Amino acid sequence: MKNILIITFTLISFGIHAEDKVQDKKNTVYKYKEYEVIDLGSMEIKGQIMAPGDLTVNERERKVFKRSLLEKNNFDFENKREIENLR
Amino acid sequence: MKYFATTIILATLMVSNYAHATAKAAFEISQNDKSREKNKKIAHELIDGGFYFSAIPYINTYLEDHSDIDSQLESDIETLVIKTGTMAVLNLEEKKLEKFSIPSISLILGTRLFNKEQYEKAYEILSRIPETHKFAIEADLMKGTIKNLQRKHIEALSLYGQCTQKATQQESNAIGEKLKRYYSYLKETCIIRTARVKIEDHKYEEALELYEQIDKRSYKWPYILMDKAWAHYYLKDYNRAIGLTVTYKSPLLESYFFPESEVLMALSYYNLCLWDDSLKVVDHFYDYYQPKADALKDILGKNKNSDTYFLDLYYADPKTRENLNPFIRNLITQTRKQVKFNLDLASLKAAKDELALIKKLKNKNDFTNGLEANLDATIAFIGAKINFYIKKEIFTFINEIHKHSYSMFNLKLELLSKKREEIYNTKSDQLVDRNRGSETNVNRKMNQYFFDFNGSFWADELGDYSFGLKSQCSDANKESK
Repeated sequence: MKNILIITFTLISFGIHAEDKVQDKKNTVYKYKEYEVIDLGSMEIKGQIMAPGDLTVNERERKVFKRSLLEKNNFDFENKREIENLR
Repeated sequence: MKYFATTIILATLMVSNYAHATAKAAFEISQNDKSREKNKKIAHELIDGGFYFSAIPYINTYLEDHSDIDSQLESDIETLVIKTGTMAVLNLEEKKLEKFSIPSISLILGTRLFNKEQYEKAYEILSRIPETHKFAIEADLMKGTIKNLQRKHIEALSLYGQCTQKATQQESNAIGEKLKRYYSYLKETCIIRTARVKIEDHKYEEALELYEQIDKRSYKWPYILMDKAWAHYYLKDYNRAIGLTVTYKSPLLESYFFPESEVLMALSYYNLCLWDDSLKVVDHFYDYYQPKADALKDILGKNKNSDTYFLDLYYADPKTRENLNPFIRNLITQTRKQVKFNLDLASLKAAKDELALIKKLKNKNDFTNGLEANLDATIAFIGAKINFYIKKEIFTFINEIHKHSYSMFNLKLELLSKKREEIYNTKSDQLVDRNRGSETNVNRKMNQYFFDFNGSFWADELGDYSFGLKSQCSDANKESK
């Protein structure tokens, strides 16, 4: 008898809940804001500044690429030619 | 005078008769001797009679088939090497020559391997020549060069030192002007080599002291001006470097062309921050050398297949030579000063004389006809060899011009960049006020005197010129260089 009462009560409560949901769906109206002002100037952000506030280019020395100019590191060419011209 | 003429006629007759007798003896051996040593004996008779070029094929044939050399053959080969140079064993391959360890063959084989850039092998072969042998000087020079090329400077200096010492000794012992000149040439070459190693080791002052040992009348002297100029350049004495390179503009040295000297002059001006002067040298280089290179290329292209054209130029009469491009004329003059060219030319003359002597022999037979045919071929070969040598010299010179054109191009870009910087930095007005030369800018040693240059070159002053330009380098320029 006790079990029958519990099952009956549970079924009744599910039935009531389901009926409420159907009623809510029918009454919901979504509406967007028609006008809103955001004052960015008055907004404040708390915390530390990690990057510079404005964009700048630091002046630095212009890179000069050096061309290879003639160097005399050895006399191989002259020495070989001298031997060739000997005999 | 009458006696002198008679003596000469008698001497000529005696030589002719002796030559005739040895040619006859060689003929008899060729007919009657059936031994293995027949060719060696024929060669010996011919060498004895002064028919050196005729003996070459017989010596070569003998060495081709044998691997033993007795003292007489060794002496004959040595005579042939002295009289005919590298022709002596021309037909023998290196593998065959390697089996013989006598000094004359070792010298020829070593030279041949050196020219083929087989340095290790060449060094090993040249080391076979005994220290006291007369060919040891040339061997030391070549061995020193090999060590120099391998950057083993301590060994190279030691070998060049030995070469200088031996050549000095032989020069004082030599009888005859030609031999003295030959040893003097070797001595100076080895001194110059020592100085060059010093430059490569950045010991510029020591190198300059060594160059002082070369006499101004030496064949080698015009060539050392470039070396000295480089030494002064690296000592940052740019005025002296310009002074040395400008020496080539003297009328006495007009037949010497060194495109590299123009580059060095432009570089020296560049290091003094005299951009305009440097640019002038660069532009002059292109104006001066470009037409010359084109003329040479043209003459090479038209005669590339000829075996005689360039040799004929050398033999051309003065009038024909006058009509040549002066640049080509001067290049031939410069080639005539090379040892190899002169040796080959002397060989050509000796071979022709020998042929004339054989043609005069009374009894003609198959043997003498064979000698004549061989000599004809030898003369044609030496002629083609000299012709090729001149052609190669011209070709090397064109390559030099092209190589330095590239250096000049880079320098010009650098100069234009410097001039642009100067305009940006508004410092160009400095150039207007520059001081064009002063004695105060000339670096001098205690033993050097100062004379003004008044527009004319004096022979005793050549090689001692220095400019007196003030460097226009600001600190910024110095840093950027």
